[in-house]
Amino acid sequence: MRSDYIYPILIFIPLAIIQTTVIPLISINGYVPDLILILLVLYTLKEGQMYGMILGFVLGFFFDLATGNVIGSTMLSKTVAGFVAGYFANENKLTFYLKSYPFILIVLLCAIIDPIIFSFFSAGSLNTNIFKLFFEQGLIPGFYTAFVSVLVILFYPKRSIG
Amino acid sequence: MFRFFSSFWNNFKEYIVFVLLVIFCLFIMSFSEKPGIKKARAMAFGTYAAVSSVVSNIVNTAGIKSENENLRRINAEQMLQISLLRQYGIENQELKGLLRLRDTIKYPIVQGTIVSKSISRSQGSFTINIGTNSEIEPGMPVINDQGLIGIVQSTSANYSIIRTLRSPDLRVTVKNERTRVDCIMKWNGIDLVMVNVPKTFDMKPGDRIVTSDLSSIIPVPLPVGLVEGISQVQTGMFNEIKVHPFADLSKTENIFVIKLIQSKEKNNLELNFYNIK
Repeated sequence: MRSDYIYPILIFIPLAIIQTTVIPLISINGYVPDLILILLVLYTLKEGQMYGMILGFVLGFFFDLATGNVIGSTMLSKTVAGFVAGYFANENKLTFYLKSYPFILIVLLCAIIDPIIFSFFSAGSLNTNIFKLFFEQGLIPGFYTAFVSVLVILFYPKRSIG
Repeated sequence: MFRFFSSFWNNFKEYIVFVLLVIFCLFIMSFSEKPGIKKARAMAFGTYAAVSSVVSNIVNTAGIKSENENLRRINAEQMLQISLLRQYGIENQELKGLLRLRDTIKYPIVQGTIVSKSISRSQGSFTINIGTNSEIEPGMPVINDQGLIGIVQSTSANYSIIRTLRSPDLRVTVKNERTRVDCIMKWNGIDLVMVNVPKTFDMKPGDRIVTSDLSSIIPVPLPVGLVEGISQVQTGMFNEIKVHPFADLSKTENIFVIKLIQSKEKNNLELNFYNIK
């Protein structure tokens, strides 16, 4: 494993614990922000699409193992999210992304796609209204995750971007 | 030829890797219920739960004050109910004595605390701090003071994973308490619904839903929820009934596991996901 995969995996461990212990306390009607996804988008923008996909795959695997989800479901959704976020990876624009609103929009896009893919492959039943699925599983949790990602812009060390 | 493959790889490597990863994910998903993978998962979540329980304890301590106030209120309400039930109990004993019947039903329960939650709108599973050391076994029903939470999915020595009502692969046989009609209930990814309910069945919003005696997993009547709405499907003979669960999964912290597993003989006769053991 490349050494630059180690840091996000190390960050993932406390983040996964926060995701499963603290974050449920701030859930709104069952909607929770996805901290793992924010981490994934952040590192994908820094390191590129290929890195993002593989990182999503690895983090998804660990998250599935730790939480008892169907193994493969988070792996798949995070891999797709890494792939999508990877389209925005550009070394020259990294400062621009991480210092202002584009990062929130990229997180929003990935946070809409990720739970839709996850629910599509883990929920089993497909006879639900597609618009309801998009709205309830994608848009609302996506906005919540994007809102929380503002914290990254506010507190991310500026020297590590430049 | 080599140059062709090399340029093909350089141009499309992201797509090739993406497709391979997706195929691998789908492949591994289809094997996620194999005993070997279940065993590995039990070990992994056992280790993870040991760490997250420490954080969970700290977080829960902060909420103890408000929880205490809430518990005191519930205690007062239950005290009133108990006094009423005692009265009913005395009357019941008299009547049973008259009928020469004896109440023999008693279910041992074990208290546990949720140490981590994996929740989203589409699914939900909890990790609790009791496992095989407390004689917890897969298949046991899990409740709280409000009603059914789910069933134990897998266990390690000190921890267990609960498949909650929000798990799409949990199907429970339930019945309408008023009309005694049995149906299958499941989570469709958005709502808790009773599926394939014939349109002729008598169901009204507000009807109380409990687990059915016919269930291979939960054969005792545990409160599940209230009928919230009936989707009038235009075609076919069946309706889908939306159920509002009594138990609020997002706020649940303490649970009880009922140490009860149906006989294997009955399990083998009925079709349920849990038969694979």
